[in-house]
Amino acid sequence: MSDPSRSYLKVNYEFRPAKQVERRMLIDAFQMLGEGGFPIREYRYVGMGSVYFIDFILFHRLLGIDRMMSVEYDTLIEKRINFNRPFDFVDIRISPVADVIPNLSPDQKHILWLDYDDIISRNQLQDIALASTYLAGGSILLVTIDVEPPTDTDRPKDWKEYFVGEGGDYIDKKVPLGAFAKSELPKRNIELVDKALKAGLVGRSDVGFIPIFNFLYKDSHQMITVGGMFGGKGEKRKIRGSALADAFYYRPSLRREPCVIQVPLLTRKERQYLERLMPYDDSYSPRDFEITTDLLHAYREIYRFCPSYAELLL
Amino acid sequence: MPTHKASAYPRKHFFFEMFTRDISLEDCILDLIDNSIDGLLRSRNIQVGSSLLSLSSNGDENVNRKLPRIEVSYSARRFEITDTCGGISRESALSDVFNFGHAPGEVGGSLGVYGIGLKRAIFKLGSQFEMVSKTMGEGFSVNLDVKKWVEKDDNLDDWRIPLQYIGGAASEQAAGTTIKITKLRPEVVMRLDDGTLAQRLHSIISQTYGLFMGKYVQIILNGRKVDPFHIPIGDSNQVTPAHDDYQDGEVNVKLFASLAARGSNQTWKSEPAGWYALCNGRIVVAADKTDLTGWGTLGFPQFHDGKHRGFVGVALFQSDNPLALPWTTTKRGLHRESPVYLHARNRMIGVARPIIKFLDGMYKADAPEEPAGRAIANQVTRTGLSEIAARPVTPFSVRVIPGRRPKTTVRVQYDAEMTAVQRIRKHVKQPGWSAGQVGKYTFDYYLETECPQ
Repeated sequence: MSDPSRSYLKVNYEFRPAKQVERRMLIDAFQMLGEGGFPIREYRYVGMGSVYFIDFILFHRLLGIDRMMSVEYDTLIEKRINFNRPFDFVDIRISPVADVIPNLSPDQKHILWLDYDDIISRNQLQDIALASTYLAGGSILLVTIDVEPPTDTDRPKDWKEYFVGEGGDYIDKKVPLGAFAKSELPKRNIELVDKALKAGLVGRSDVGFIPIFNFLYKDSHQMITVGGMFGGKGEKRKIRGSALADAFYYRPSLRREPCVIQVPLLTRKERQYLERLMPYDDSYSPRDFEITTDLLHAYREIYRFCPSYAELLL
Repeated sequence: MPTHKASAYPRKHFFFEMFTRDISLEDCILDLIDNSIDGLLRSRNIQVGSSLLSLSSNGDENVNRKLPRIEVSYSARRFEITDTCGGISRESALSDVFNFGHAPGEVGGSLGVYGIGLKRAIFKLGSQFEMVSKTMGEGFSVNLDVKKWVEKDDNLDDWRIPLQYIGGAASEQAAGTTIKITKLRPEVVMRLDDGTLAQRLHSIISQTYGLFMGKYVQIILNGRKVDPFHIPIGDSNQVTPAHDDYQDGEVNVKLFASLAARGSNQTWKSEPAGWYALCNGRIVVAADKTDLTGWGTLGFPQFHDGKHRGFVGVALFQSDNPLALPWTTTKRGLHRESPVYLHARNRMIGVARPIIKFLDGMYKADAPEEPAGRAIANQVTRTGLSEIAARPVTPFSVRVIPGRRPKTTVRVQYDAEMTAVQRIRKHVKQPGWSAGQVGKYTFDYYLETECPQ
């Protein structure tokens, strides 16, 4: 089994603005699901906290979740992981997530975030299938993957070969090469995730997968996060009846275009200036500095979720 | 427009000639044994779901008790099965036993699901059959020339089979059924006499009814007692088998998986490795290594003969409604479109994965067994399904005993030309190095430059 990349050595997770916007949107969505009748506070969060545990801290502080498990593959940093554990109730498991999923309690609703930093692989597809095999109805699954070209070469032929090799039966080998153009790769990844979800759900008559999220964002690499809930008609009705159904990032189908998270590079002064006028009209344009309409609109969508960075002298 | 009604009647000839072609002789005989076991479960009021894996009624204390018997014997002239499993009531014989299939809502038994096994077996084997069955209170007999019965097929009344009432059995131990079939079909005579059927039947019966034999019933084939096959699933004080248990509609599913018990020569054999699937205690799939049980699907590896021969898994499907179970009509396969099976297959992958990881670690690059893994595997001995079922639901785990850290190094020795060693000393400007230091230096150099991590 391949060793997942040690991205915590490359990126300080705290400074990934698009990822942070995504986290804040997820929290926004979970709050709306809570208001819509899902007891999110009672859920158990299972994630891949690495040494930063940012999602754990946010989910506890903002959602009140206090049942948590962080799964880490890298046995070399076990002490470091434990050292950085933010709360005593965060259970740490040093093992592949595939070993953990089958043992998640069927009596407990989970939020499971398979937050990979790598390009898609057969192990990840297996994890996804396991999640949809085991997670109880009402549970939420999030899958994040890198959707950059999977090989160092610039040839879609090589990329297709990679996807066929890793995707196995999930991928139609007759799909033309054009479907593996760089701009198409997010779609191919989403299709693979969808198929793995379906494979895991085969035989389960109690639940299906109800899509909710489909984010596309880029800090350094282009990433997608696909997510939704396992449930039946009752869950679907509750989601559609909640305020979440009106959120601009809500995606009830994986075939819909993803919600692209674009974080405009604005100064603090520019942000404060624009935020005083939120939500501005489509026709609005500031008189005091130059900014494109696209960026203006992008910022209007995400300003509520956008982090501010400052140096703290501790 | 007037409505006309087209004929869609069953024809006896179809059942006699065609219906029997898609089932093997062995499976027909197993169908007859199923009927006997069902009779036993019914007459002794045994609940398969609760008692088959119970520790209290399992095992040795019953070995010496006189268990009910099922005796199968055959020659070129006749086939016979006799049991002391309680017999069939007249009411059941009149209204159910000889029907082709069950009416909606009717449940045949725990193993006799479809209501076709007895008839199909008789038609498959020969054209003259006699049946005598006695319960404690009553009895009946049948003597039928099947060919003559098939010839008369004018209306549904011709499908009835004449019975004679006889007296009941003197004791519970004597109550049972005998079926004798003569005027065997030529192709059956050929198979019965092919020199291999007896041994083959013996091992199929041993395997299929392993959970019933020695506990509820004895099976005797041509005068020879069949010993039950034990699934070679193992445990030790370090190795805990995986145990998953869940309800899927009307079906209770239990999954067990672990390392296989080691043979006396401390090795594993490939043949018994793989998954075993049981429906109401009857093994329907044995030692499966194909995609039927998840191998090579959903990112799970194909069965690798060298690496995975130490794996054994058991999937037990149990239900009071045998039609809900995921078995095929021959009861020697899993129904691939059954939702119960499909969901179980995904979960089988989930419970098997840690074992495969252990075995992969034990056989890195097909090298001889890694010593730490071998030491753990050598302690694994066979355990019973009842023992695993009695433990709580748990994943497979291997407990590493502190203080017994396995050796991770191996001594490398080889001869080298002295002139070659001297050349290296000169090249690295270390004239005082021993040959051992030169060897260590060159090994480390190769490791670092050619095998970076």
